[in-house]
Amino acid sequence: MNDAQTLAVQVAAIEQVTPLIKHFTLKSVDGGPLPAFSGGSHIIVVMRGNLRTHRNPYSLLSAPHRLDAYEIGVRRMEESRGGSHFMHDEVKVGTRLEIAHPVNLFGLDKIARKHLLIAGGIGITPFLAQIEDLRGTSVPYELHYAVRSAEHAAFLPRLREREGERVHVYYDSEDQAIDFAGLLSEQPLGTHVYVCGPAGLIKRVVDTAHAYGWPDSHIHWEQFSAPPVGDAFDVFLSRTNITVHVPHDRSLLESIEAAGVEVPYLCRGGVCGFCQTAVLELDGELLHNDHFLSDAEKARAKSIMPCVSRARCKSLVLDL
Amino acid sequence: MSVNKSKPVYTPLRADTSGRFHLMLGLAEGAAALHRVVDELHAVAPDSLGRTRVLLSHTAEPFQGLELAAVHVFESTTALLADFRATLERSLMGTRLYVAGPENFIGRALQIALSFNLNKDEIRTEHCGTHARRVHCVHCRATTEDVRTNIVRCSGCCRWLAVRDHYSRRLAAYMGVMADAEAAGELPPVQEVYP
Repeated sequence: MNDAQTLAVQVAAIEQVTPLIKHFTLKSVDGGPLPAFSGGSHIIVVMRGNLRTHRNPYSLLSAPHRLDAYEIGVRRMEESRGGSHFMHDEVKVGTRLEIAHPVNLFGLDKIARKHLLIAGGIGITPFLAQIEDLRGTSVPYELHYAVRSAEHAAFLPRLREREGERVHVYYDSEDQAIDFAGLLSEQPLGTHVYVCGPAGLIKRVVDTAHAYGWPDSHIHWEQFSAPPVGDAFDVFLSRTNITVHVPHDRSLLESIEAAGVEVPYLCRGGVCGFCQTAVLELDGELLHNDHFLSDAEKARAKSIMPCVSRARCKSLVLDL
Repeated sequence: MSVNKSKPVYTPLRADTSGRFHLMLGLAEGAAALHRVVDELHAVAPDSLGRTRVLLSHTAEPFQGLELAAVHVFESTTALLADFRATLERSLMGTRLYVAGPENFIGRALQIALSFNLNKDEIRTEHCGTHARRVHCVHCRATTEDVRTNIVRCSGCCRWLAVRDHYSRRLAAYMGVMADAEAAGELPPVQEVYP
């Protein structure tokens, strides 16, 4: 994906659904239908600020059969590098944005016998679209949704209205917690578990599932990492023959793009592997922050995901 | 040598200790392969024997003296597979399936496992005994059992079928295609190729 292939949309509605989460409705500028997608898909929103351009991934939460509008939920991040603050503070009804076509890296297994959906906080968004796909099937599913407190339970009225008792909500403020062992030790054969939310929740679910003998093919998770800040460094791009400076608060990918070099990407969150780039020379160490490369590949230091990973180095040469 | 990638590949069974429950199916010589896995579990994860069920037929392989959850010997393959299906209905996530025996038996067992959405990382198979094939006639869709020759008469429509290496997991059978379609009665020599 690159910016030449984006869709032009306009913000049709904004609703503050919790103290931290805003719900945006986007419609195409020409009023026509948007591309079809499946539950679990995300889009990249391109935000052109005065000083810099942000490109953040957001899961689509609207029903996949509705193509007149896309809906996303954006949580205001405390340690934002600017993207979520831009969405919260600068974007108004009528603002025009560019978005990349939907991509699904978190799809439902088509032949599962049961779906177990586990969300933490803003991680509820991909499931809102998925349950729209599931409601038309005879396959059983359950949704378990953990939030800080009642006032932070985004989209709960919509879920309650559509799903009733199929939604199990857990409030941290009332010391309610998901019984991971109870849930994962007693599921019928052919069940798939999906988890989206904070890193700690994902780890609990994946570790507990493994402990009860779940194979990887039945465990699905998605977490978009925001590119972490770090020390500034320089990178030499061998094919374009230029040196690019990566400031402390900008990602490697953003810095390369700002220098006018296009890198193919899909998720910008360390998940999909699309921006994988070969490391030709390195004097120092790579700081891998992605969920795509294996530990062995990370140790070999022969490739890097510039969307979220950085380097602490005297020199770095990339095959770009 | 066929280049068809659909032909199943089997490897000697090993215990998969990442699983919590172990369900083992063995036919004839396959029982000895299962015994080897049970011995391995006994050595590396003795607790798991209490969560291990062994379903057998056409064998006198002794499994006594081990603390297994169950060992059942059925009088027919059909009875074994019926019990297998009923067991899967009650089984939980975390189950590993082991199947050992002739290929046509493995194929029928995996056909059932597939309907319960068991994936490759939950199933291990070892081929023991005959290579006889189940053959699916692409013309009348009948299945001919126990085929040992390159050319066979279809049990449904009586056409002469050439047995291909193209395998269907869904049908648990190899494809059979009319062998003398170009010139009726002109057949290559019939040979036993799947002993």
